[in-house]
Amino acid sequence: MMSEKNRLHWVTAVIELLKTLKEAIIPLLVIVVANGIGRERSGNFWLDNLTILIFGAFIVITAVAGFIKWKRFVYWFEDGELRIEHGLFVKKKRYIPFERIQSVDYTEGIFHRPFGLVKVKIETAGNSSVLEGAEADLTAVTRAEADRVSAVISEAKRRRRAGVQEVQEDGAEAVGVFPAEEPEEEVKTLFRMGRKEIFLLATFSGRIGLIFSGIAIFLSQFADILPFDVIYDEVVAFIRFGVFMVAAVVLVLMLVGWILSVAWTYLGFYGFTVSFDGDDLFISRGLLEKKRVTVPLKRIQAVRVSENPFQKLLGYVSVKVHSAGGSVKEAGAAIGLFPLVRKREVNGLLSELFPDIETSGELAGIPVRSRPFYYRLDFIWVLPLTAAAGYFLFPYGLLALLIIPVIILLGLWQHRSAGWRVNDRQLTVRWREFTLHTVYVSRKRIQSMQEHQTIFQKRRNVATVTAAFKSGIMPSKAPIRHIDEADADRLMDWYDPRNRLQAPSPVEGTPAAEGE
Amino acid sequence: MRREPANRISEKGLTVWRIHGIFYTLIVLVPAIAASVLAYIFEGPIWIYIVSGAVSVIAGFLLIFLFPKIRWQRWRYEVRETEIELQHGLFIVKRTLVPMVRVQHVDTSQGPILRKYGLSGITVSTAATNHEVPALQMEEADELRSRISVLARVAEDDV
Repeated sequence: MMSEKNRLHWVTAVIELLKTLKEAIIPLLVIVVANGIGRERSGNFWLDNLTILIFGAFIVITAVAGFIKWKRFVYWFEDGELRIEHGLFVKKKRYIPFERIQSVDYTEGIFHRPFGLVKVKIETAGNSSVLEGAEADLTAVTRAEADRVSAVISEAKRRRRAGVQEVQEDGAEAVGVFPAEEPEEEVKTLFRMGRKEIFLLATFSGRIGLIFSGIAIFLSQFADILPFDVIYDEVVAFIRFGVFMVAAVVLVLMLVGWILSVAWTYLGFYGFTVSFDGDDLFISRGLLEKKRVTVPLKRIQAVRVSENPFQKLLGYVSVKVHSAGGSVKEAGAAIGLFPLVRKREVNGLLSELFPDIETSGELAGIPVRSRPFYYRLDFIWVLPLTAAAGYFLFPYGLLALLIIPVIILLGLWQHRSAGWRVNDRQLTVRWREFTLHTVYVSRKRIQSMQEHQTIFQKRRNVATVTAAFKSGIMPSKAPIRHIDEADADRLMDWYDPRNRLQAPSPVEGTPAAEGE
Repeated sequence: MRREPANRISEKGLTVWRIHGIFYTLIVLVPAIAASVLAYIFEGPIWIYIVSGAVSVIAGFLLIFLFPKIRWQRWRYEVRETEIELQHGLFIVKRTLVPMVRVQHVDTSQGPILRKYGLSGITVSTAATNHEVPALQMEEADELRSRISVLARVAEDDV
């Protein structure tokens, strides 16, 4: 039994065409510039219009290719699999078992809007075929169809979870035949970003750095011009005026760029909503292009709360989740769960979403004697630099010395902010770069743990412990730097499976003597 | 630090590292010789010869004798029923713990130099990280690989 073979919407052909054109725009421009401009006419029609001909041929071929791609692309459900076939000369088939499907994401582009369509992106867990991309895209289907696909897949997964062994072959029909055994858990909206938050986020993520660098360039230009001052008075007046104009234009451009980037971020995050149906998280956002990302809860490896000092001044923090699997493109990237959220709300939200995570416990600090380690290493590269700057750029180079107190203060700050905690099944690590990060990771999500010690650390009896967990297809690490050696050993013991096996209790993670 | 893991890697591994050290020294030697030759052609000052010579000798000593020796002495591993423990490092002692439950697959690999000495490296991969034991007797490596893969299969848990 199989469902009928489904086609994509015809807009697919248009989208494919535009996508190819977008990718080919630069080579095409090169051809146009190289061929078409400033050449005298030879009278030969074919030669004179070569560029346009190439252009036209390219567009026609691309259009035909897009059309064929749409025409040949079919998908259907069979034997508990999503099956896709496409290709004209080389027929490609991809069969994806429902169990392997991790998430079904919707994206709604500008071309999708008028027809009420969405792009469905089906992601699998595998990082096996990295190059192929272990996923399938349905470029344009109707919203209803997308919901049907999504329902079939989640239904199949739910039935498997419920322990029904004989999976009904026809997934599509099954939706109608079997109402879910358990009443469908309704999707609950957990978090919604207000306009003010989105605007703040956009302001922060907007290229503030760009403006500063712009001002720096402006100033350096100005300084370069100064020596002329003495010699060519009039010229300088002109040049200055010119420079001022240029700088003003640059500044205005930059301001516009910044406003655009703020606007872009604002549109991208517009209506940012996180909802939750008991198994999966749905993150949807966007005004012009709506995106919906599904994150299966059980794939989440770790939760990270980041407190940027500037955002924290306004009482906001951000939360990301590290999820295993997902596509290559977002390799290693954590998924923004709450891009900006009030600090006092964050623990409540987290405990609602992840009841297992303990966010309240008091963290153990870093011993006082390891304070120097937090800034000492930085001197290895800073000292020669400041020395060189001081020597070669004599009076002003000495300003580089100002870096030293900054580094020491940052080190002291990092030392004071860092902390860690273990309970019977969770590791909490807090460390500061400039932003303060707190990672909550359960012991069974830690892939490996490493304790390391330099000879200097050994002298002071301290050691560093690093816990590695999976994030996308890359590892991510939580460092606990320069803690007491005995504590480091206790942490390793806490992770060591041997110590858990010996304990009779069946509960995973019997409380050992915890380092506190 | 906790108790050291029990097993050392093969003594021939030390020889292999010394050979690697020779290659690295050659890389240092090339600019040193070039500097000396240039100094000879353009009648440069004498200290260029001295510095080049000293740098080469020191690099040779460190890369061929001292570093491989420290590394070899430091390298230890132990494969227990529930976990793999490694210790390595030159200036920094690194102690790594990989639970069997987390092991995804095990590889052995062998370059030309390792093959000549009948050695083989073994790499343990988890979902996120890779860990290598660089030089074991070939039979030992094969035996270890199958043992780890059996132990890893017994231990069950999801990612």
